[in-house]
Amino acid sequence: MQDLRIILIFLVLVTFTLPACAQNLYVWNNYDNTLYEYYKNPTERAKFIEALEETILKAEESGRVPPGIYAEYGYAQYEEGNFTEAVAYFQKEYDKWPESRILMAKMIRNAKFLSERARESLPPEDNKSEE
Amino acid sequence: MANPKIFLIVLALSIATGCAVTHKDKDYTKFNAASPRSILIVPVVNRSVEVTAPDYFLTTTPIPVAERGYYVFPVNLVKRVLEDDGLSDADLVHNAPTSKLCELFGADAVLYIIIERWDAQYLVLSTIVTVELTYIIKDGKTGETLWEERAIMTYEPQSTNTGSLLGDLIAAAVTAAVEKAKPNYIPLAREANKKALKYPGSGFPPGPYYEEPSGR
Repeated sequence: MQDLRIILIFLVLVTFTLPACAQNLYVWNNYDNTLYEYYKNPTERAKFIEALEETILKAEESGRVPPGIYAEYGYAQYEEGNFTEAVAYFQKEYDKWPESRILMAKMIRNAKFLSERARESLPPEDNKSEE
Repeated sequence: MANPKIFLIVLALSIATGCAVTHKDKDYTKFNAASPRSILIVPVVNRSVEVTAPDYFLTTTPIPVAERGYYVFPVNLVKRVLEDDGLSDADLVHNAPTSKLCELFGADAVLYIIIERWDAQYLVLSTIVTVELTYIIKDGKTGETLWEERAIMTYEPQSTNTGSLLGDLIAAAVTAAVEKAKPNYIPLAREANKKALKYPGSGFPPGPYYEEPSGR
């Protein structure tokens, strides 16, 4: 009987203490798998960008946006050549995380520089875009 | 007679006192003195023969470090920026002065990870998958090592018991074939991270964004 009681106490303790170990500061929405799938299939960039966007939306709902996510999304836009969008997200990272400011300031500067250059390389009369 | 009882009580207490049975304490003097707020996880050095291992492994790293309460720089952006700067080889990055890297990214500390093993041994009837990793955190100002740990994990898929010896052999062979085609290292890598980063234990102390787990 005594043994049974001890086993019961043991089980109760285990069930109540273990969940406390798994804690989440942030909403990641499978960010690790998203990145893994992208490295596995680098051609599926659209999926990667979409998944990052989804993570941001979900995390913003509860205000628990993980560090680096705005910047990662901004960089994906940067690589796509969407420099305005990139700057906006680098700025979000900059505002939310003081630790990111040196890097984000550089990224914003780069994105603005590339965006200027892209604009200059397009002669104004040559407006027929090839989309 | 009393022995099993005492054993159970001790076991229950050791689990109740924390997530981990406390290991021999590490010396956190340097770590606490540096008290980094941000950690730069740089591309992973590969000493295994699996060429995809470093990129795949990298994806498992930011979540546990950020959940420990540190600002973690976006790993993919960092990797690409380093590549653009001519540091596409992780060995080059690991050999560069830590202070230089930290200056470039504005980081307080760098987490270096080396894949020592990432392999599957194909035995006739089963497969043993192994990952072994070395983790080192260095201070961004002094370049001194603030924390280091090595973790090894192995995994052997269990063969299903069909009740007959021949059936068991066939099941095991099928399992081995499946694992051979595509051994899944990622869950094992995550376990290795968990083991290495466990705190209190082998890991490093929580950072500025850490919150005590509330009874959510």
